[in-house]
Amino acid sequence: MKKIISLLFISALGVLLLFVVASMPRMGDPESPTREHVIPRYLENAEEETNSPNVITGIILNYRGYDTSGEVTVIFCALACVLAILGREKRGRIHSYVDRSPVPASPVVKTMVRFLAPFIILFSVYTILHGEISPGGGFQGGAIVGASIIIFTTIFGLWEASRRIPQKFRVPLEGSAFIIFFIVGILGIVGGGNFLTYAWPNIANNLQPSVVLWLTIIVEIGIGLGGAMVLISILFAMMREEEAIAPTA
Amino acid sequence: MATALNVVMIVLLILSAILAVRAKDLLAAVIIFSVYSLIMALVWQRLQAPDLALTEAAVGAGVTTVLFLVAIFKTHREEER
Repeated sequence: MKKIISLLFISALGVLLLFVVASMPRMGDPESPTREHVIPRYLENAEEETNSPNVITGIILNYRGYDTSGEVTVIFCALACVLAILGREKRGRIHSYVDRSPVPASPVVKTMVRFLAPFIILFSVYTILHGEISPGGGFQGGAIVGASIIIFTTIFGLWEASRRIPQKFRVPLEGSAFIIFFIVGILGIVGGGNFLTYAWPNIANNLQPSVVLWLTIIVEIGIGLGGAMVLISILFAMMREEEAIAPTA
Repeated sequence: MATALNVVMIVLLILSAILAVRAKDLLAAVIIFSVYSLIMALVWQRLQAPDLALTEAAVGAGVTTVLFLVAIFKTHREEER
């Protein structure tokens, strides 16, 4: 009986969703409603207003800076929740998890990870710094750094990874995304604009036209560092072993 | 050709989504879910959203997979019936 009801409910929902999809505008339709309000303005003025050649970066960090700072805060809150539940790993009491895993990492995997990790980090630096020109940016680059460190941690263990990224270096950087966003936003107010208008450099535009671009890059770096550190800290908190003994080495 | 590729990707997407839910071995479910994310990244790229494709590939296929794996190793591998 339960199964029949849930089947009916799901099929009704499916039919409803299919109707919605059928009435959506075609992809790339120039007259679809999403392209009529703010999109033309963004496409025409973004480059001179935000000084970033990649319009998406201009929209995310400049026009919709509030949204992005909110997202950054959400990521930070996720870390705060994980730490509130699991607790931060203790220095000197952490233990390589993989050593105790029933399936030890093979030499092939270890060599490949050791060989590839620097290149992944290099690519993420490119993604962050080149974000205002090509696809990508702070979030993506931060996620890639985080992923490379996470791969390293799962293969070589928490002890090795936390020796390379010590807690005293990681903890202050976790909030860097929001702090840098806030500082840049305050700079906007100081310059006579609203929060996050990047107005201060607009006054200085006569001297240095690319200050807006530089501020955008600084915000990107902050988001990238903060996001990466939050991901790494979440993984470390999940992997820590309460009863583990510190390695003798 | 392009339409055929789209159809193949959509079919693989739906297939991997169903398999990820149906799998009794949670490790297999997580790996299938990362395959889902990878195909989704390709779909984003086909929809001309390279930013989303990068995010999906890094977060969906990379980070969440490893976080799920750690969670599984900390608990039980088999789904309880």
